[in-house]
Amino acid sequence: MCDSCGCETLSRRTIDVNQPLLAANAAAARHNREHFAARQIFTVNLMGAPGAGKTALLEATIRNWRGAGRIGVIEGDQATERDSARVRAAGALAHQVETGLGCHLDAAQIHRALHRMELARGDVLFIENVGNLVCPALFDLGENLRIVVTSPAEGVDKPLKYPPMFRAAELVTLNKCDLLGHVPFAPDEWTDYVIAANPRARILRTAAIDGAGIEAWLEEILRRRRAFLESSAK
Amino acid sequence: MHELAIARDLLHIIDRTLGADNVRVLRIDLAVGAASGIAADALRFAFGVIAEGTRAHGAELSIAASPARGRCVGCGILFEFEGMIGVCPACGKLGGELLAGDGMMLRAIEVADV
Repeated sequence: MCDSCGCETLSRRTIDVNQPLLAANAAAARHNREHFAARQIFTVNLMGAPGAGKTALLEATIRNWRGAGRIGVIEGDQATERDSARVRAAGALAHQVETGLGCHLDAAQIHRALHRMELARGDVLFIENVGNLVCPALFDLGENLRIVVTSPAEGVDKPLKYPPMFRAAELVTLNKCDLLGHVPFAPDEWTDYVIAANPRARILRTAAIDGAGIEAWLEEILRRRRAFLESSAK
Repeated sequence: MHELAIARDLLHIIDRTLGADNVRVLRIDLAVGAASGIAADALRFAFGVIAEGTRAHGAELSIAASPARGRCVGCGILFEFEGMIGVCPACGKLGGELLAGDGMMLRAIEVADV
């Protein structure tokens, strides 16, 4: 009540809490993960800077998909439904989340989006996160695979500048690799930096526009999906 | 500005911890991993905005950085990172496998009866 006389010192006490932050998001992510396992929906979280080519890579993925099941996409952007329109035109089921002031997607948003999508058992879900190399790294969505999409135009040093993002990913793809030779970019140096941030990352090269590397990209996703289906079927 | 989402979560945990107690929160003790990607100033700012009109309004955020530790993938030794990416003090290799220091924990809150 009173800030000045010091009477508060009489009742001061410390309460031990010892709880991790983002526990609410972690709980929602766990719920999503259980849902994905129970329904055998392999879910991929695509992250990367705006302009890295995430949507174009998704379009190429949808058009060249040869796995069983349909592809659903949850699109996260601050504004507009442009990306959901693009992936829908490519043949996917799509749901747009406009985050407004939000700089990332969180697990509760994914949960709500799932209620608005008609995904069937065995479908595949791609989540295109908000274009941002910082915030999405911290929010577990319950996904089964995290991928960072990056491009030569971003320069070689992004893994050093944004380590949590590269650390969060199991797979990193150098997209727009058709730009190599046209922009200043030393691939070996970049690879060293990715490994410095995340020694376990698997690195691919793709070019969504001319199709380079798309076969290997699809094979990698399908391989991980098979492993997910086997483990979640147990 | 993911600190806003974290500030909201922090307030939620504090509210749940305090229940219906009629108290004012004076201090909040946090431990934030050096490799967590959380900016202390941004978190303080965001919490100040979020906590307005609540029991935690005006509380001091005491943020202790817990060190980031990892293993060198070159020579295998364990070492403390300086910053978000380490440089192995033994072999000089850049980077390493992070083993601790990417979490955030609410340790304790100090309150006073109103």
